[in-house]
Amino acid sequence: MPIPNIAMKPLRGVGEFYAMALDTLVAIPRRPFSWREFWLQCWFVARVSVVPALLLAVPFTVLTAFTLNVLLLDFGAADAAGTGAGLAMAQLGPIVTVLVVAGAGATAICADLGARTIREELDALRVMGVDPIQTLVVPRVLAASLVAVLLSAVVSLATLIGSFFFSVFVQGVTAGYYVAGLTVLTSSEDVFILLLKAGLFGLAAGLIGCYKGISAGGGPAGVGTAVNETVVFSFLALYVINLLVTAGQFGF
Amino acid sequence: MKHNRVSSPSSLHPRLRRSVDGFVVGWNRIGRQTQFYGMTIRSIGTAVVHYKAEIFYLVAQMSLGTGALALIGGTVVVVGFLTLSTGALIAVQGYNQLSGVGVEALTGFVSAYINVRIIAPATAGVALAATIGAGATAQLGAMRISEEIDALEVMGIRSVAYLASTRVLTGVIVVIPLYCIAALMAFLAARLGTIMLYGQSSGVYDHYFDTFLIPTDLLWSFVQTIAVAIVVMLVHTYYGYTASGGPAGVGEAVGRAVRASLVSTIFVLLLVSLAVYGRSGNFHLAS
Repeated sequence: MPIPNIAMKPLRGVGEFYAMALDTLVAIPRRPFSWREFWLQCWFVARVSVVPALLLAVPFTVLTAFTLNVLLLDFGAADAAGTGAGLAMAQLGPIVTVLVVAGAGATAICADLGARTIREELDALRVMGVDPIQTLVVPRVLAASLVAVLLSAVVSLATLIGSFFFSVFVQGVTAGYYVAGLTVLTSSEDVFILLLKAGLFGLAAGLIGCYKGISAGGGPAGVGTAVNETVVFSFLALYVINLLVTAGQFGF
Repeated sequence: MKHNRVSSPSSLHPRLRRSVDGFVVGWNRIGRQTQFYGMTIRSIGTAVVHYKAEIFYLVAQMSLGTGALALIGGTVVVVGFLTLSTGALIAVQGYNQLSGVGVEALTGFVSAYINVRIIAPATAGVALAATIGAGATAQLGAMRISEEIDALEVMGIRSVAYLASTRVLTGVIVVIPLYCIAALMAFLAARLGTIMLYGQSSGVYDHYFDTFLIPTDLLWSFVQTIAVAIVVMLVHTYYGYTASGGPAGVGEAVGRAVRASLVSTIFVLLLVSLAVYGRSGNFHLAS
């Protein structure tokens, strides 16, 4: 019985995505690894993400510090501002990294691969016996993961410094209490989870960007739509991963 | 827009000159963006008078989405899903961290406070930028690349009013029901997560939630979201309207627009909350 095409389309998309993800995972240990492309992509993703990450992290931090400290000041517990900042770092750090890696990195990867797909460069590679998954997709996915981990460290640092300055110099919290309060609810385990989350986000965003890029079609409008879908699907995937990893950390 | 200068053989103070030129280019770009935003906002009246049909068409398109987005339920589902997961995050993180200091009863308070003031507007802004905004950039960019915008101008249609103003206005119209869904989903997910997953009694949760939920805060967060929607749509239509450089250019424009609108969303949220909430928390602590 023929299944209507419209109902099969999303399913087929999911299947193709899994197939490409598996191909990529299998191709990661295979020699020769394209180191040159890997370092170029790392540099590229880092270059487009660092400034937006900082621009996003600092106001976000100030907003959170402001909202939490207003509450703590009302309780007369402003000395606990550092505790709030530690929590905010553990939660906001990965989210900001997500938004930037997906919004800046994955979109650029998708636009680049999409344009190559439209110009049939990938088909040309296949004809020449070069596997585009191994030469193009693997380095991009790994670069996105590595840069996400590094970026989340930068974002965490910016979060702590930003909220330190805002709490101490604007809202008058004692600096010593702020530093002492940092580790009350946030431990090294949280920092490891933060880095793990960032790595997973980078992996997912890289895979989605590459999949949407190599399956783009239909001229300039097609590339634009592919990039749009990359943003939406990677945000969805990343929020779900965040929730699942957090739930896994604390247990149900 | 790439700034490719022909390199001159030699000049006095090349490094200084390059950095000054870079600054001037950036400064001029800000001027052009401001001009575009002014023109877009000024033309909203024209759009309402002359292009009503286009506005209705865009409302349908933006709320339900196009292409693969429509197949998973469109913008409404994406926004609902994102806020659902952040609300559930509040339950997971809030309950566990609060029970670390023995006050897990206050999870309802966290939901009523953090959800309204930060998470619901921020998530709604992010979701808007990703779905409606990026979609608009992709559409306008493709039109610009295939010279459809020039064709519109030749036919005597005011392209800024017809393409940009209608989209900004539609963004504001669409965000109103979207924000209601976002807030409801966030509250619902936090409540269900706390009660069903962690087994807190619903009376305790509802008591603290009702005590600390301030209706005016909810209205202000609504205003915040509308401001965010206006900024997001302006940024995204600008990047789409000025896209250049073939298929890759459209993709890059979408990426740049998403970056710019995420940053401006957070700045708008920060400035509006500093202006609205001020130093007093306006809590019902003593009541």
